[in-house]
Amino acid sequence: MKTIFKKDLAVLVIEDNKIDAKIVRSMLEKTSYGKFHVSFVMTIKEAIELLLTQKFDVCLLDLNLKDSKGLDSLKKINKKYAHLPIVVNTGAYQDSLGLKAVTQGAQDYLIKGKYKPYALSKSLYYAVQRKKAELELQIAYNRLKETQSQLIQAEKLSCVGGVASGVAHEVKNPLATILYGVEYLNMKLDKEDEKTVLTLNSIKDAAKKANEIIKELLDFASISHFHQQAEDVNEIIQHSLNFTKHQCESNNIKVDAELTDKLAQVKVDKNRIEQVIVDVLLNAIYAMPDGGGLTVKTWAETFSASLKSKIGDSANFFKAGDEVVCISIEDTGKGIKKEDLNQIFDPFFTTRRAAGGVGLGLSIAKTIMTSHKGGIMLENVRGKGARATLMFKVKRKG
Amino acid sequence: MSLKKILIVDDERGFTEMVKLNLEATGYYQVKIENRGTHALSTALKYKPDLILLDVIMPELEGPDVVNQLKRDPDLQDVPVVFLTATVTKEEVDVQGGFIGGHAFIAKPSSLEKLINCVRDHIG
Repeated sequence: MKTIFKKDLAVLVIEDNKIDAKIVRSMLEKTSYGKFHVSFVMTIKEAIELLLTQKFDVCLLDLNLKDSKGLDSLKKINKKYAHLPIVVNTGAYQDSLGLKAVTQGAQDYLIKGKYKPYALSKSLYYAVQRKKAELELQIAYNRLKETQSQLIQAEKLSCVGGVASGVAHEVKNPLATILYGVEYLNMKLDKEDEKTVLTLNSIKDAAKKANEIIKELLDFASISHFHQQAEDVNEIIQHSLNFTKHQCESNNIKVDAELTDKLAQVKVDKNRIEQVIVDVLLNAIYAMPDGGGLTVKTWAETFSASLKSKIGDSANFFKAGDEVVCISIEDTGKGIKKEDLNQIFDPFFTTRRAAGGVGLGLSIAKTIMTSHKGGIMLENVRGKGARATLMFKVKRKG
Repeated sequence: MSLKKILIVDDERGFTEMVKLNLEATGYYQVKIENRGTHALSTALKYKPDLILLDVIMPELEGPDVVNQLKRDPDLQDVPVVFLTATVTKEEVDVQGGFIGGHAFIAKPSSLEKLINCVRDHIG
């Protein structure tokens, strides 16, 4: 009979019964339905060790092993090697166990002695195909979830943005009235009276604060208007560091810039990206009230799976092989609370409400980065503080 | 020395009162208030201002439309106009060098000093 299944399969058989192992070997090695390269181990421990060094397409697993019994064996392999399709091969026939095995990630459930070479070959090949489809589905699902969360974020932001300009106009007029009123009273009232001066200054400060909030809100409304051109990321960083130099010095923060020379230019709106970097720097400074260190790095690399995990839900803008320029800003502060990490880019989320934080800085930063099709992510660095990573795609001409 | 005459056209009553108080307190200016854009032309014709401070967004008739009316009148077409507006930010005004569409702009709220300097630049 000619070969039905064309692809060679590397099969890991986990079986401690020598006779059963022999049967499987003869079925797979002699069958002409497909071509199998079979390796045998007798315990889960050996299997896990072998999987570290050798790649297998599929695993045939007995449930009654010396170091592991029942579905625990399935869980152990699945936990470490989620991508490996597993077909359970057992002597005990139990419908409920079979269904349970399939629910918990097995591709099929075979009963020893009840199948012939063709059925075994077919089960293994189908397991590989099913697992492949399952993984593709999982990737598509993850992508959909990421897109959904981006859409929700965009919706939140556009909602705030839409309200912003209307509110701004209505609020700025009374603010202007208050400020000019204070100026007039400042001229006319008794400067010797401390309480009068204090009152006027408080009114003035409050009006100015309200104006700052309005200004931040307006940033949302104007976020779509960018003037993008080729820029040197290192220059933008130097400029942003100059901007925050005073705060660093007065907070006893040592700045260490490790900027890679001759980075490819990226097409951005310089002022907006500077706004993003300054905001990230200020957040890092706020996280180190008792002083500390700030490390700013820039580098170029090719986008790959390992970078994907560094850039979170912005990874959709990049594909493997893209040339990217990255910036990381790392502090030695107290880090970000785990429960805050999910909300950190939400509008009006702030951990500094008492100190006057409005909670728009980082959500504006994220919106700016998204509009540039760039990435931004914040994470904790174990035992160190927090790290922000920014990523831009390099677009080469031609 | 006679006082320079300024007409402020803005629908925010409180704001116009504060501008009047502050500019008149300098001792150099006399200020008239007009809170309705539709009345700006007739008030200007009667008052004959040296400078007009003009709000951009007003109900009934907006600032740019008022400017068009002024420019068509031979007695008023040379009177300088400074827009006062809450629709742009100070930064946007600065980026444009303080001029948008050929007219000086002041963002609301700006400091009184800035307003007085702007008035001084135009009519001394």
